[in-house]
Amino acid sequence: MSTDTAPEVARPSEAPRQPDGSSRVRRELVRFMPLIILAVLLVLLSLRNPDLLTQRSLTTMADSAAPLMVLAVGITVVILCGGIDLSIGALASFASVLTALWVPSMSGAVVVPVVLVCALAGVVQGWIHIAARVPSFIVTLGGMSLWTGLALAFSGASTVAVTDIAALRWAFTRIGGTVPSALVIALGVVVVLGAVMRFTPFGRWVASVGHAEPAARLAGLPVSMVKIAAFGVSGACAGLAGVLLVARTFSGAPTLGESLLLPAVAAVIVGGTAITGGHGGLFRTVVGALIVVLLRTGLSLIGVDAGFEPIFYGVLIIIAVSVTIDRSKVAVLK
Amino acid sequence: MSDPVLSVEGLTKRYPGVTALDGMSFEVRPHEVVGLIGENGAGKSTLLKSLVGLVTPDAGTIRVRGEAVRLRGVAHAGSVGIGMVFQEQSLVPNLTVAENILLGAERSAVRGGIYRWRAMKTLAQEQLDKIGSRIDPGARTDTLTFAQRQMVEVAKVLTIEERITGEPVVLLDEPTSVLERDEIATLFAQIERLRRRASVVFVSHRLDEVLEVSDRVYVLRNGQVVAEVDPSAVDATDLHHLLIGRESGGSHYHDEAQRECDGAPVRLRVENLSTAGCTKVSFEVRAGEVVGVAGVQGSGREDVCRALFGAIRSSGGRVTLDDQPFRLGSPRSAVRSGVGYVPSERRTDGIIPPMSVAENLSMAHVGEVCSGPVLQVKRERGLVDHWVRRLGIKTPSPDTAIGTLSGGNQQKVVLARWMIDDDLRLLILDHPTRGLDVGAKSDVYALIRDLAAAGCAVLLLSDTLEEMIALSHRVVVMKDGEVVTTVETPKGAKPDPVVILEEMV
Repeated sequence: MSTDTAPEVARPSEAPRQPDGSSRVRRELVRFMPLIILAVLLVLLSLRNPDLLTQRSLTTMADSAAPLMVLAVGITVVILCGGIDLSIGALASFASVLTALWVPSMSGAVVVPVVLVCALAGVVQGWIHIAARVPSFIVTLGGMSLWTGLALAFSGASTVAVTDIAALRWAFTRIGGTVPSALVIALGVVVVLGAVMRFTPFGRWVASVGHAEPAARLAGLPVSMVKIAAFGVSGACAGLAGVLLVARTFSGAPTLGESLLLPAVAAVIVGGTAITGGHGGLFRTVVGALIVVLLRTGLSLIGVDAGFEPIFYGVLIIIAVSVTIDRSKVAVLK
Repeated sequence: MSDPVLSVEGLTKRYPGVTALDGMSFEVRPHEVVGLIGENGAGKSTLLKSLVGLVTPDAGTIRVRGEAVRLRGVAHAGSVGIGMVFQEQSLVPNLTVAENILLGAERSAVRGGIYRWRAMKTLAQEQLDKIGSRIDPGARTDTLTFAQRQMVEVAKVLTIEERITGEPVVLLDEPTSVLERDEIATLFAQIERLRRRASVVFVSHRLDEVLEVSDRVYVLRNGQVVAEVDPSAVDATDLHHLLIGRESGGSHYHDEAQRECDGAPVRLRVENLSTAGCTKVSFEVRAGEVVGVAGVQGSGREDVCRALFGAIRSSGGRVTLDDQPFRLGSPRSAVRSGVGYVPSERRTDGIIPPMSVAENLSMAHVGEVCSGPVLQVKRERGLVDHWVRRLGIKTPSPDTAIGTLSGGNQQKVVLARWMIDDDLRLLILDHPTRGLDVGAKSDVYALIRDLAAAGCAVLLLSDTLEEMIALSHRVVVMKDGEVVTTVETPKGAKPDPVVILEEMV
């Protein structure tokens, strides 16, 4: 599919007309690397701890993977456009607070207004990015602080417990007694968004804007609209991720989603989507999210304290970016 | 004859789809001013970039005083004695003249990592004295005029003298392009002065200037040296013929296919259009008419075309398309009104290299291959196959990444992108044949003729006057942001390019 091409490492000045043998091998290797890593991780970890592949441990991992996957899929669309959305963690926290506050009056239907509010928040950030011509990095960095602040204000700076346990049961249950509903919801998001990207022009527009925005603009594509929509999708996904978090922890808190920003970005990059835009796709992010979750599990298996996880995300992101970045687009590194 | 200071043998550089340098050879002897002329795309800028190590050639040798060198960058080139005065200037605007001159070559002006201002001023003054310039080394660079900054650049380049034994080669890249008449005279006096201590390579597309200042002139075309001439033995017209070549008979431009369109309705009417680069431009294009816009760099002709497509902002004017008011907004609104645009920078503005031929072809009118919001892949395939066949686009498959095709085939896809629109009313062609080989050019000319014959209005900017005159019904000549005249160029009575050239400069 168009949004799922391999990251091209060759610069225009070096790109041969037809890729020769070695560069094709390298490209294919980069393309399938995430899947290979995932398989190797799975084998290594299950050799070390055979309990890993039990149903119980798999469902636990799926529970923690679901919100991460939803967040990561959302931000993938923004990154494919060549932007970044740093606000998703804060927005998920904000969503968790809204959810906890609104459950008493709206019960399970709370997901609809929460996702809509967060989508709107994303659209507003996208619009400011376009209209004021401010880098998305800065707009969403400001947004990160803004949504955290609103979450603090709405929650009175404390955890808001959900007493009506049944209201969000749909998002934290076992379908048929085994499959976590959160995972099904996350995969549902992937399938719907993936279908939109593949079967409507939207996916091509996103890739075009990410690969070559001037060319996209001069071909008359709705560049601004595509970018704003991407931020809207990212916001909506953050909202849904917030609801999933509340369903799992039975509470909303102004810092609940904060720690998910780095793992989500790591999932996108490790999956093979280039931070420079254009190259990549949603299904790669699913693989990336699984890798991140497996690595996290693996770390705790070998006895690394969870407090050290940020070190590992930081290193992971830097390594993955250095492999997947499209250097032809980066004239000056800043 | 003395040994050359700089000699280039068989220099070759290929980019995907374009051969920028095709076995270029020339030499520069001591204290000589060598002129290099060529049209856009002849390979001038790639050549200069290879001479200062900004481009690594695929083949060929660069020899400095007989010794082969592989240049790794501007600093390395300087250390072997080659320095360049860049066309777009390379000074840091918020530093002083002295800092700029010594930037990267501070020597005793820095001790222990700390600037010693007095030493710096003295050293900078030495450099300025070499060219007899009275610019204050303590002045901030952004307070100087363009011509003064250019002198600072020359002084800066001469710092390489201190690093080498022997005399340097100074490359001047289009140094006159934004200078006024008297400033040009000053520059030429400076070049005379410069030759006493260096060899000079003077690159320009202004024929008379090259003839005036050079001892020998190399004419470049399609990445090769096609002639070496003695300025005293030729005039501008001879040079012009060498420059554009005689590759072409009438069939090259498909002259016989030019249709009369005198009775056709006016398609595009531009009245008093103004932008940052042009003022009160007015002209008309009829349906089926090809109108060329001629002008040198800075004439504002690019601004006119880009403003009409909504790619840059316009500050005033009235434009109608088929007698309906046409709002200059965004490229998207222009496309929706049936206007197409082929940009001059194909690789960055025209195509999306990693995406497929099919995606690049259908992108502007993707609605044609959609049912509601859903892409109809089969319908798209049919449409793309049709156009690939009709335009003879050589591609392994419609799914091939367009970046791997040759330049000519890429450009055909860009043209097809607009031709799939049955209601295409106006096509703006911004240097549509830049970087294409002769055969591909001829194919593009044929397509332009077809489009015009089908009633589409065409606005054309060309690298070469000959191309523009051959393709157009009329040529609008611009200078300093204004239309100066319009020259009729009907079939069978094409004027000499020199007529238009005289109006341009």
